[in-house]
Amino acid sequence: MEKSLSEYVSISKNIENLKLEKTVKIAIMSSFTLNGLDETIRVMCSELDTRCQSYVSGYNQYNQELLNSQSNYYNFSPNITFLILDIRNFLGDTFHYPYDISNEERKLIVKEKTEQLKNIIYLFEKNTKSKLVISNFNIPSYSPNGIIETKSNFGFHEMIEEINSSLRQMCKEKNSIYVYDFNNFVSRYGENNIFDYRQFHVGDIQITYNLIPNLANDLMSYVKPLLGKTRKCIVLDLDNTLWGGIVGEDGINGIELGHTPTGKAFVEFQKELLSLWNQGIILSINSKNNFDDAMKVIREHPDMILREKHFASIQINWNDKAENMTQISNEANIGLDSFVFFDDDKLNQERIKHEFPEILTVNVSDDPSNFVPILKEINDFNVLHRTTEDSNRGEMYAQQRQRKNFENSVSNLDEFLKQLNIKVKIKKANKFLTPRISQLTLKTNQFNLTTKRYQEEEIQKLSNNENFEVGCAQVLDKFGDNGITGVYIIEKNKNLWIIDTFLLSCRIIGRGIENAILTEIIKKAKQKGIAELRANFIPTTKNKPSENFLSDFGFKKNNDYWIYDLNNEIKTSNHLEVETE
Amino acid sequence: MADNVHAIVAKVFSMSENDVNDESGPENIESWDSFNGLILVDELENNFNIKFSISEITDVKTVADIKRHLKNHNVSVNE
Repeated sequence: MEKSLSEYVSISKNIENLKLEKTVKIAIMSSFTLNGLDETIRVMCSELDTRCQSYVSGYNQYNQELLNSQSNYYNFSPNITFLILDIRNFLGDTFHYPYDISNEERKLIVKEKTEQLKNIIYLFEKNTKSKLVISNFNIPSYSPNGIIETKSNFGFHEMIEEINSSLRQMCKEKNSIYVYDFNNFVSRYGENNIFDYRQFHVGDIQITYNLIPNLANDLMSYVKPLLGKTRKCIVLDLDNTLWGGIVGEDGINGIELGHTPTGKAFVEFQKELLSLWNQGIILSINSKNNFDDAMKVIREHPDMILREKHFASIQINWNDKAENMTQISNEANIGLDSFVFFDDDKLNQERIKHEFPEILTVNVSDDPSNFVPILKEINDFNVLHRTTEDSNRGEMYAQQRQRKNFENSVSNLDEFLKQLNIKVKIKKANKFLTPRISQLTLKTNQFNLTTKRYQEEEIQKLSNNENFEVGCAQVLDKFGDNGITGVYIIEKNKNLWIIDTFLLSCRIIGRGIENAILTEIIKKAKQKGIAELRANFIPTTKNKPSENFLSDFGFKKNNDYWIYDLNNEIKTSNHLEVETE
Repeated sequence: MADNVHAIVAKVFSMSENDVNDESGPENIESWDSFNGLILVDELENNFNIKFSISEITDVKTVADIKRHLKNHNVSVNE
């Protein structure tokens, strides 16, 4: 990690007065001493421009706190709770003497322990709206049974595996509960490095201070998507990043890619990138090169894993890299703050860091065999749920590039829109759509009238409330399915409807879709005999693209809000087809 | 090396190095609680590449004690 625990602790004393954009409430409960985790997480949140209010439950008090519905923990009402348990404490004497009892008794203990976990989760779901991240248990490397541990009948290790597997099963279907794979953490950093008997005996510390920042970093993987602070696009250099050597000098046959040890490192890196692309991470190129030289490699080199279709934006030219970055942001229509920049050149790294501090510029070493581990360290790509839109994103952006090419080949915008064959399907929220709707409210910054953020549970609640209508829009065209890319929430009062939320994913702005959705809302309001439709525009630093939407549509400003006269004739656009479900 | 011990102590307890002396300890440094005490152990071990025993850890009452234990680990500490 970048900083040691003592550094995090000392920084944590000076973040109280910082001006930060967001707030999050985090609770930490554990069965052993986890000092410093709270401070580290608060500092890490502040680095994400977020104030973290934290609650740390007393030493091994988690059960009491969960049982008492009036406890300080419940009163704190966190957004997310980390419950970190340890296997020693959990198994008690059985941890030391697993073979003093019969295998039947071991099975009974596991059953009892599983029930205990089930009850924790039950209490949790009953009493809070918080997301819960509960750790699983590490399987100790040692067994008193020695080499015949693996032959034991329902042995010590099998017991813990069974508990882990039950825990995983019971949380799989629960939307707000996640299992943190602590066993995986231990295998990554090593039992001998994590567990220090001296710290354990001195203060029941079971994760050594050295590694608390690493644990905090892991837990931040859950906080980042909760805050909408995730990255979606990796911008890549080419020479010495996707292949070894310089194609302009070495030529397509001279670069290192494939069979040499160095060449294999680049192939491995590309495979890892492709694997992320398959999960919905967008890839783009920002390279100083002759376009034709570089494209020849991308199109023809037999060992290239990534091809043209994998890139949402390709900037291969001799322009300034920062300029290209803006170009990529425009072309792919995503904010610079969702970018990760991966370039082997230190000067380029400095240039981008300086120009765009909001971009995550990776400290890439010269050694290509380090690229994969460096990439795997980045925990900014997580989603709390993978929606269909997430998985297909890479493909959608490649389609987007085709759209752009098509747009450039058509003489005017109207013609382009007409030939695009846009179809907008408007749907009411249901439990399958909820994750995506919430995700859009959390992530959409540019075309967003009110920028209200809603967690899944809140969307669920609103859509069950008859005074509200939560809807979304799926957009299709001749190049493919854009997925659910628009959301609206309307507060329905007796004579007055208020648009609480109206947003559009930026990649579909400018095609009349926003007008079509709003028109449908107005039609509905008219049908219900509503007298007034009111909307709000709450300016932020990022939502300028939606600033003039209301006035352009025909809303009139009235004090702090905007009103649409429902006697106006309804405009319908003829270039797209709207379907309401 | 003594400077180094003082510097580490000062860093861990967020104080000025000038205020650290052989008599400094949990008695007179407010932030020297058991948590920060163990962080100090961690910092010293990483810095000098040694491992204290559990009795050495629990025995420390002052900076002088730290220096005494460091000497046992063949770390040269200037008096």
